[in-house]
Amino acid sequence: MIRLVDVTKVYRSGAYEVVALNGVSMNVETGEFVAIMGPSGSGKSTLLNLIGCLDKPTEGKVFINGVDTSQLSDKGLTELRRDTIGFIFQQYNLIPTLTALENVELPTIFKGASKLERRKRAEELLSIVGLEDEMHRKPSELSGGQQQRVAIARALANNPSILLCDEPTGNLDTKSGKAVMEIIRKLNEEEGVTVVLVTHDPSVAEFAERIYKIIDGVITDVS
Amino acid sequence: MYLELARRNLGRAKMRSALAVIGILIGVMAIASIGIFSESLKATVMENFQDLANELIVTPAYSQGYLSIDERTVSKLRKIPYAESIIPIKSYTELLDYRGKKVPVNIFGIDYVEELFEVEKGGIRRGEAVAGSKIAERLNLRIGGKIIIKGEEFRISGILKEEGARFDINPNNAILISIEDFGKLKDAEYSKVIVKVESLEYIEAFKKSVDRIINSREEKVSVFELKMIIERIEDVFGQMTIFLMAIAAVSLFVAGVSILNIMLMSTIERTKEIGVMRAIGAYRGTILRIFLTEALILGVAGSIIGGVLSLAGGYAIDMLVLGSAKYIFQASSVLYIVEGILFGIATALVSAAYPAWKASRLEPIEALRYE
Repeated sequence: MIRLVDVTKVYRSGAYEVVALNGVSMNVETGEFVAIMGPSGSGKSTLLNLIGCLDKPTEGKVFINGVDTSQLSDKGLTELRRDTIGFIFQQYNLIPTLTALENVELPTIFKGASKLERRKRAEELLSIVGLEDEMHRKPSELSGGQQQRVAIARALANNPSILLCDEPTGNLDTKSGKAVMEIIRKLNEEEGVTVVLVTHDPSVAEFAERIYKIIDGVITDVS
Repeated sequence: MYLELARRNLGRAKMRSALAVIGILIGVMAIASIGIFSESLKATVMENFQDLANELIVTPAYSQGYLSIDERTVSKLRKIPYAESIIPIKSYTELLDYRGKKVPVNIFGIDYVEELFEVEKGGIRRGEAVAGSKIAERLNLRIGGKIIIKGEEFRISGILKEEGARFDINPNNAILISIEDFGKLKDAEYSKVIVKVESLEYIEAFKKSVDRIINSREEKVSVFELKMIIERIEDVFGQMTIFLMAIAAVSLFVAGVSILNIMLMSTIERTKEIGVMRAIGAYRGTILRIFLTEALILGVAGSIIGGVLSLAGGYAIDMLVLGSAKYIFQASSVLYIVEGILFGIATALVSAAYPAWKASRLEPIEALRYE
């Protein structure tokens, strides 16, 4: 499903070079729930961005469903993100001018779904995350936990097979965080969605079947 | 949906959007108002010339040494078809004696005065004279007054209405008498012949006939068409209009720069959002479209309001400069309003092109990291 072969990522800023990832290889099978743990600056977010085709490796290859992403054009990468991958960010990253419902509809609009179709899908997803009563509220009128649930619904809009979560509970209180993690677990167990989750919170990582530990751009431990 | 998204994005910075709309509005209004005014000005000037368009002036071919047109040539002219009327004119300058005052005036020998000029007071009678408005005013001529020219006494039967600029003959400072009476004063041939053709399309045919019948062996007369002068005036006005509109376009250019500025600020402020949209599956083209749609809304709103207001602007300038707004509702006004609106919309789109392109070229990951 997801395969990284000898991936290195080097950031250059002026005269400095920062090696964010150094020869990382990993495999995630379909339906797996994998956590990536590490301190801040360890390269775990970089790893997630590479899997999510938001960034390109300096060296090495990233395969998604057997497709070598380095061979894809910007259009191809965009379509891969749109149709196969769902993102959940620490900052929720909802579009502030759009209501919860419209935020969830957005990826389906990018895909060209009909108005009726996308409305139905968005309503369905919002009720799955328990926000059927808040559909017409703007993000600023929702709590952090509610916003993150909207973000989950949005990530699922085009029925992706991979869910990438970057510190999904990082900005939430324990209770909301737990509710969000329950939803993610349910999606993994019941819908068979492959989940890759980045966190530094051990209680969150516990939800995963496998945990990769990463320090200074190198995977040090898999458990 | 993109339209709705764009509308809401503009709503986020209402003041800024309003200022952009006002900028475009002023630009469009300036262009369209000036267009309308130029057109009114042209119409006002043309008013004097329009009924002269079917006139041809036949003059002696001075370059060939001809100083006058003889009777035979005039009768040849009369035989050419297409002409509605042929008005030969004799003229010379002579001292006029009125109540003991002696002043030099132009004496025109002309029949059918009423075909060329309008009589304001009195009428035209055989054996009597008609005075031009300026000379009548200067000498305080009255209907029935007696003037003496070269010992011949004439009674003033009418006074002409003041004529504007004319290219054929100007009667304002002249005394007009019949050809027959002119003969009593001076033995002269004709100085010019004014020809009115039945319709504008016969002008060329008439000129060709003159060349064939009169100028076949040598050039005796020149034919001068007023239509050409009118076309020339129209050209000059066209150039003036373009010049004035170019000045007005500066304000639209400024509006364009302000949209460019606003959009650049907006792309910077929304960098992260752009990153999010790219992450969840928006093409570069989609981002481009969202920003261009915003500019389109600004452009359309500003241009349409500006277009409507330009009627008021045109009215104001017309009243101020021409003292009349009777030419406001010409078809050409609508044309200038439409032109202004199109320019306004185009300015908004062109100005937004760079910021929109820049937004669309953002790398998703860079954009997402932006704080």
